[in-house]
Amino acid sequence: MDKRFKIKVTIRKEGIMRYFSQLDLVRILERALRRTQLPIFFTQGFNPRAKMSFNKALKLGEKGEIEVIFYFRERVDKELLRIKLSKNLPKGIRLRNIEIVNG
Amino acid sequence: MNWLNFQKPQRYLDSEWNVIKKKHRGKIKVAICFPDLYEVGMSNLGLRILYAMFNEFNDIVCERVFFPGLDLGDYLEKRKKRLFSLESKLPLSSFDVIGFNLSYELNFTNFLYMLKLGGVPLRGEERKKIILLGGGISNPEPLAEFVDVFFLGEFEEKIAKFVSILRKYKDKESRLRALAEIEGFYVPKFYHVEVKGRDYYFFKKYKYAHLPLKKIYVKDLNSVYYPVNWLTPHTEIVHDRVQIEIARGCPNRCYFCQARCFYYPYREKKVEKILKIMEAVYKSSGYENFSLLALSASDYSHIEELIEEAEGLFNKEKVGISLPSLRVEDLVSRLYKKLLKVKKTSLTLAIEAGTPQLRERINKRIDVDTFLEAKEILKSLNLRHIKLYFMFGLPGEGEQDLISIGELVRKIAKELNMRLHVSINVFVPKPFSLFQDLAMEPEDVLYKKRELLLKTLKRRNIKLSISNIKQRIIEAVLSRGDRRLSRVIYRAFLKGAKFDSYTEHFNWRLWEEAFREEELDYRWYLSSFVNNFSWSHINWRG
Ligand code: SF4
Repeated sequence: MDKRFKIKVTIRKEGIMRYFSQLDLVRILERALRRTQLPIFFTQGFNPRAKMSFNKALKLGEKGEIEVIFYFRERVDKELLRIKLSKNLPKGIRLRNIEIVNG
Repeated sequence: MNWLNFQKPQRYLDSEWNVIKKKHRGKIKVAICFPDLYEVGMSNLGLRILYAMFNEFNDIVCERVFFPGLDLGDYLEKRKKRLFSLESKLPLSSFDVIGFNLSYELNFTNFLYMLKLGGVPLRGEERKKIILLGGGISNPEPLAEFVDVFFLGEFEEKIAKFVSILRKYKDKESRLRALAEIEGFYVPKFYHVEVKGRDYYFFKKYKYAHLPLKKIYVKDLNSVYYPVNWLTPHTEIVHDRVQIEIARGCPNRCYFCQARCFYYPYREKKVEKILKIMEAVYKSSGYENFSLLALSASDYSHIEELIEEAEGLFNKEKVGISLPSLRVEDLVSRLYKKLLKVKKTSLTLAIEAGTPQLRERINKRIDVDTFLEAKEILKSLNLRHIKLYFMFGLPGEGEQDLISIGELVRKIAKELNMRLHVSINVFVPKPFSLFQDLAMEPEDVLYKKRELLLKTLKRRNIKLSISNIKQRIIEAVLSRGDRRLSRVIYRAFLKGAKFDSYTEHFNWRLWEEAFREEELDYRWYLSSFVNNFSWSHINWRG
């Protein structure tokens, strides 16, 4: 049984954020997530990272929407995530939608 | 501007988390410049501290300016546009005070290039604004013609004083006079230096200026400002971790070392204070990696307690903690168990010389045997690679010392069965090191020694980097130089020298021509000095 709690978040990458690569985006989102102090689920191994999966990658310079799944160690309230995350996302990344995947 | 035309456009955008943006109106505008790329500059703790501290003053706006990539530099030159600050994108020339964090002699030409690109006159006398320079340059003399004020030491201690003078005096001359009266501020134009034979004589031209000059340092590290609202880049930088300073200075006495004097005296920060800072920085940044910074972390009195507590702090959050400067014997004996929990990807060992005899001569304390005996422990630490540092051209060094470097490295590689990064640097008798009066090894000997090292170290599992000798010579000359070198640097710059610290961009010919045209022999600066030096008017021991 998959005990991880998953939330699908749709974000919009625009403005100067267009110039940050997909690799940068992973870094930006992980740090934003860490700043929320919510119980993130980390990958195993010697270099644990916040686990997340994307539906696609945007090209450098391209603006648009991406869906990303965040993983948590326990149940997280959708509204709480919305409030905390929007406070911690940099200019150029906008939160469009939040959806609980399992729970 | 279409940023897609440039390599790594992330360097020039200002969207970092915790970036400080202020309105300019009515404020004193201070630029902090760094003469290397964004990813290098953002790894510099000093720059971060000053940026945050300046911005704490309501009537000051402080912004950052980094060295542009060559593509952007060319673009700006061709379009006659000016180098700009990250935050407001205003040209460097629009700032009231230009601060430089400069730590490396091979960045001197970059410093001039940034001024030129920013539309700022290079020579002090041609300029209405102040250029203030601080960082890691212990002998500022070669830049005397370009820089108005050098700050000697730790600027945190005098920043409030500096700001109060900017408020009180508006014209450059009164500002410079007022600064020269305060300890720590060195205004070169108020001093006259005469060279007779190999001796230097120093005279004051302004009676309230200080001579000798004394450096300033923070007495208590626990009360010093820390930039806890950690500026968090959205892209990878060279040292991609939060630097948490645990101590300043070094209690050891390696004779070749400049840092121990430059950062003298040795001071420690308390464990509780360090932990508080770590917690605050993590909350503000979300950074996943921290590094505990000291010249020699093993000498920190409570290192075991600190590692344990720091690890406990981030237990759930999986934050990596690294310690870049541990001694081997500590690593494999008393700290090993604690380190198992801490994420370490590489280990750096400064062995410096190939034989115990030579190590003793340079007073380098390192226990290579313990290291080799502990191979099982080292294997269990899951290191990705080990970095080894050596020097050559040391005083009293013979062929056997060099051959031993090769033997030692090959032995380590074999025993540990691990990839090694070996870096071998030419020894430079740096100002303020205990070897400052020595001559540098002659060039032809250095070339022969380099050949020998290359021959014994070319192996598949060894990644070798070894000094470019000419590059190191220019570094040595500039670090041991005097005011006459301002003109040489200027000439080399006009000829196109920049990025001298990058071997692929360093061009010896430009420097050679510059020296010839100024009728100076660069070798003069590499021989030994007997009575005094071009830096004898400065006392870094404080
Ligand atoms: S080389 Fe390192 S250990 Fe030796 S004195 Fe300098 S800073 Fe200290």
